[in-house]
Amino acid sequence: MKFSYNWIREYVDLPAELSMKQLSYDLTMRTVEVEDTENLAEALDQVVIGVIKAVEPHPQADRLAVCKVDVGMPEQAVIVCGGINLAVDQKVAVALPGSMVRWHGEGEPVQVKKAKLRGVESYGMICASSEIGLKDLFPSIDEREIMDLSTFEAEAGTALAEVLLLDDQILEIDNKSMTNRPDLWGHYGIARELAAIYNKPLKPLPTAAVPDQIAGFPVEIDATDRCNRYIAAVYSGLKYEPSPYWLQLKLWKVGLRPINNLVDITNYVMLATGQPTHGFDKDHVDEKIIVRNARSGEKLEMLDSSKLNLSEDDLVICDVNKPMALAGIMGGKSDSILPETTEMILELAKFNPTTTRRSAQRHSMRTEAGVRNEKGVDAERMDQAIGVADQLIEELIPGAKLTAYEDCWPVHVTYPEIEVPLSFLNVRLGRELDFAAVEASLKPLGFEVKVSRRTETDTIFKVIVPSWRGTGDIDLPDDILEEVARMIGYENFDFIPPQIKLDKAIRQRNIETERAVKEYLAFRAGFQEIFTYPWIDDQYLEAAAIDPASCLKLATPPSPETSHLRSSLVPGMLEAIAKNLRYFDSMKIFELTQVFEPGTSNPSEAAETLPLMRRSLAAAVVGKDPVQVFREAKGVIELMPRIVQIEGLSFAQQEKPGWADQKVWLNIMAGDQVIGTLALLSVQTMHAADIRKTMAAVIELDLEKLEPLPSRENKYQPLPQLPLVEQDFSILVDRTVKWQEIEELISGMVKRCAFVEEYSGKQVPEDKKSVMFRVWLGSDTKTLTAEEIDAESQRILNKIRKKLGGEIRHG
Amino acid sequence: MKDKLMTMRDECLDAIAQAGSEQTLEETRLKFLGKKGELTSILKLLGKLPPEERKETGMLANQVKNQLTEALEAREQALIAEKSVVDGEFDLTVPGVMPESGSLHPITQMCYDLNDAFHSMGFEVFSEDEITSELYGFDHLNFPPAHPARESMDTYWLEGSENETGAKRLCLRPHLTGASVRYLKEHGAPARFVYPGRVYRNENTDARHERAFFQYEALIVDRDFSFASGKLLVKTILDKVFGRDVDVRMRAGFFPFVEPGFEIDMKCLVCGGKGCRVCKHVGWIEVMPGGTPHPNVLKAASLDPLEWSGFYINVGLDRLVMMRTGVDDVRMFHSADLRFLSQFK
Repeated sequence: MKFSYNWIREYVDLPAELSMKQLSYDLTMRTVEVEDTENLAEALDQVVIGVIKAVEPHPQADRLAVCKVDVGMPEQAVIVCGGINLAVDQKVAVALPGSMVRWHGEGEPVQVKKAKLRGVESYGMICASSEIGLKDLFPSIDEREIMDLSTFEAEAGTALAEVLLLDDQILEIDNKSMTNRPDLWGHYGIARELAAIYNKPLKPLPTAAVPDQIAGFPVEIDATDRCNRYIAAVYSGLKYEPSPYWLQLKLWKVGLRPINNLVDITNYVMLATGQPTHGFDKDHVDEKIIVRNARSGEKLEMLDSSKLNLSEDDLVICDVNKPMALAGIMGGKSDSILPETTEMILELAKFNPTTTRRSAQRHSMRTEAGVRNEKGVDAERMDQAIGVADQLIEELIPGAKLTAYEDCWPVHVTYPEIEVPLSFLNVRLGRELDFAAVEASLKPLGFEVKVSRRTETDTIFKVIVPSWRGTGDIDLPDDILEEVARMIGYENFDFIPPQIKLDKAIRQRNIETERAVKEYLAFRAGFQEIFTYPWIDDQYLEAAAIDPASCLKLATPPSPETSHLRSSLVPGMLEAIAKNLRYFDSMKIFELTQVFEPGTSNPSEAAETLPLMRRSLAAAVVGKDPVQVFREAKGVIELMPRIVQIEGLSFAQQEKPGWADQKVWLNIMAGDQVIGTLALLSVQTMHAADIRKTMAAVIELDLEKLEPLPSRENKYQPLPQLPLVEQDFSILVDRTVKWQEIEELISGMVKRCAFVEEYSGKQVPEDKKSVMFRVWLGSDTKTLTAEEIDAESQRILNKIRKKLGGEIRHG
Repeated sequence: MKDKLMTMRDECLDAIAQAGSEQTLEETRLKFLGKKGELTSILKLLGKLPPEERKETGMLANQVKNQLTEALEAREQALIAEKSVVDGEFDLTVPGVMPESGSLHPITQMCYDLNDAFHSMGFEVFSEDEITSELYGFDHLNFPPAHPARESMDTYWLEGSENETGAKRLCLRPHLTGASVRYLKEHGAPARFVYPGRVYRNENTDARHERAFFQYEALIVDRDFSFASGKLLVKTILDKVFGRDVDVRMRAGFFPFVEPGFEIDMKCLVCGGKGCRVCKHVGWIEVMPGGTPHPNVLKAASLDPLEWSGFYINVGLDRLVMMRTGVDDVRMFHSADLRFLSQFK
């Protein structure tokens, strides 16, 4: 929101030497964030009043004129201009060379230079209001119309900013930082803060002189839960006309467009006090004002010509026949201020913030009034607002008269009184304060501070909260603490190192294991960690053959096809593979995060039932060769327990997930419990996920089922005293023979054996495969002789031949 | 004969000096000192000399032999010292063979960096589930009943629960702050812990806005704790992220779950506080909110707010990573695009 520094200073005399920079800093540190400041006069540097002395046609161009203009210099300036309303003796705005203008009111400002226009040199330019950012203050009908300033008393050559009273600074305050402070949404509220910061008196606002004998006006509040005070002030003898320049200027400076005197008055009151107001044409109000919930199906055309379909959730201002305004947001088109209005009902009311916000949201109407009403308004401010309005109407419209007045106030609110122990403030602030210091912080903000009682060791204050801070903002000792601290200034508190007691080291095995798994995959196994969204695209859910009914759903998903929450990380993995295949033909990726399933869990209390959630790991090895990718993924699982320091894992075939290949899949086992799967993606899954011309081995693992070891486990084995002998074997066996069978067969006969490679294809009969493996032979008591080694080898081969029907290719 | 010896010696020394390889050196040795070498043929003439000359010349011949043997050895050592294990040219500019390396997501990296820093000060790491209830997401955190963030425009409520209230209305967590109450309920106070994680907001995305993003919260709860101690949390984070001492200021800010609440700024690292485009000419950059846990939050965690106080901060990890690495589109973090992710090692 924009604030005018001059306007603020009508309410408080700030130190003369105070710079805008300092003020911005102080306000930002203590109250609200000043995002920017703007010096209005600076933007109009080198723009002066000119008086046109002669207008002659341009010799080369029909649409241009050559003007002789008195710009306060010894010689008249020659200025070429295309304005359609140029006239001799007219006062105009002249942008001299060096000034900044926006061509045709658009784009970034550019510097004016002396230039030849169709052969005639022009000394600067005569401006249209849009060219110097004054379009809303001086509206033009035709874009070629120049600003006519003839009504202003000004010598030629006077700076335009001075003539237009633009010597002002505008503060732009971040709305977000004011959301909890409804009292700051008017100039008076900011003035109050500044008065407190700089310890200057805040000037009182005028109060309305409502005669005792004045007539009432019938007001009926049906929905008292949505409106607890409504003032209707009836003014007669009004005249609809443009506001005087000073009023237009004041509104314009803070970003509002001047409209007419009556509407401008209502806006002025809001900008001064923060209290929204609205004017109804009294002739249009039948009998009385009724504040009630709208009826379903009721319609209302608004001031901005939008047509609303109202519902019972909306609050409306009506007469006996019809709705006339959407309460606290915007007036209706037909019954608000009109050119023929001579009698106005001025509304000041306190509406329920939530009702206002929801109506504004439902009808997409963000208005100045709505923004303020949805933050809450206090009753005292309404009294201030009627005072400001009354004075302004009297000043602007001679003959205007307050003829009727009604203050319908069914529900009074009390404002809190808070007990604050001095010790509380001292401990939490980390410094010693006394009553005077506390009072000095709070009183200028409108708080009343009294000593409630004293104990031997403490003083208890009673703090009475002013109405404008009692809108939900302040009701606890901690709130008072904040007020005291910010007035002392947060920058004036030195850092106090916290004292920490150490009693034991931190051991969090679950958290440590998760990190160990991630670091193992990334740093040892060469995987890249990825993140995907928890809501899954239906395409990938289907590709992973997961039943959507087994997934939780979002009520308002990011898009209709991403409404399901993941119960597995596999669908996200499919999408990541498919997308990355555009750039890579092989990859290793993993994701480790929570997945969700219907069910019940109570992590914190019995009353709160959450669905099932667990951390899961998915990893994929993608490449051309199915055997290669599968073995690589399998190796990752085989090595993991040792590196991550968890209980061992094994493999078995028990439950095949839908996305797994018909043949190539294994469950990952912890003991006899299935805790995951390692498998090639099935043909069907790859088709559905658009994964083409490649193979992918995918690991899915329930991280919660990994059992961290209590401490690092790695048992030492004495080194062999006698040398071992390595022997390689290559055998030809049926394709159905498993490596595991070979291994089991020979492992008892050797110190160690290891798979080397497997081959089927050329030079191998169709139903056979060649398996190569290596064994280590040795004795604990002596070094084997060549004959003994040969004999051992023969024994191994004989056994394979006998049990598996294999034959030796070479040994 | 002495002359012959001397001449042979000089020839041999010349040849040794000129030998450019071990092979020529060996040839030289054989030629002069070998069994059929020149020294041997000279020595064969020794017997023909008169006895008195024989002894003298024999000694001289021995000296020459020793001298030459030493010269040969010295030359051999010199040649070995000059020698490379590789014959011919070797291109040192050919790149190395790098170890196969994956990497952690840049957000994880940042998160672990911060965990390590807080761990060193005795903070635990806590992680809350991603689905929470309105009770823990809002009610316990002192959000007023009609707070806009509770509406479905802002929060991802679960289908079937969206019209319930409190403990029965479930959502993807809108922030991490609710985890503080869960932890305190479970472990009590005093406590110091961090709780990183992903949070969700129902909003439109662009280069600066995401529906899923990461936060990092740290909380200390202790007796008689002043907010003036809270800077420790802020500085721990910023010093770790930027690798140097960063100036910090705390100014008034409002959040329902803290009182007093702060917006915390760091001095702009680009201009050093003078004001530049990066800091919008303010000299300071807003980095995180923070404050003392609101009494209602402590009460929700079954702690007496008169006894316990503390300090909390919440920082957006996505933004920290963006500031540290120059990433200019927050949506990259969930893109799973390996061209992007593999840049962060």
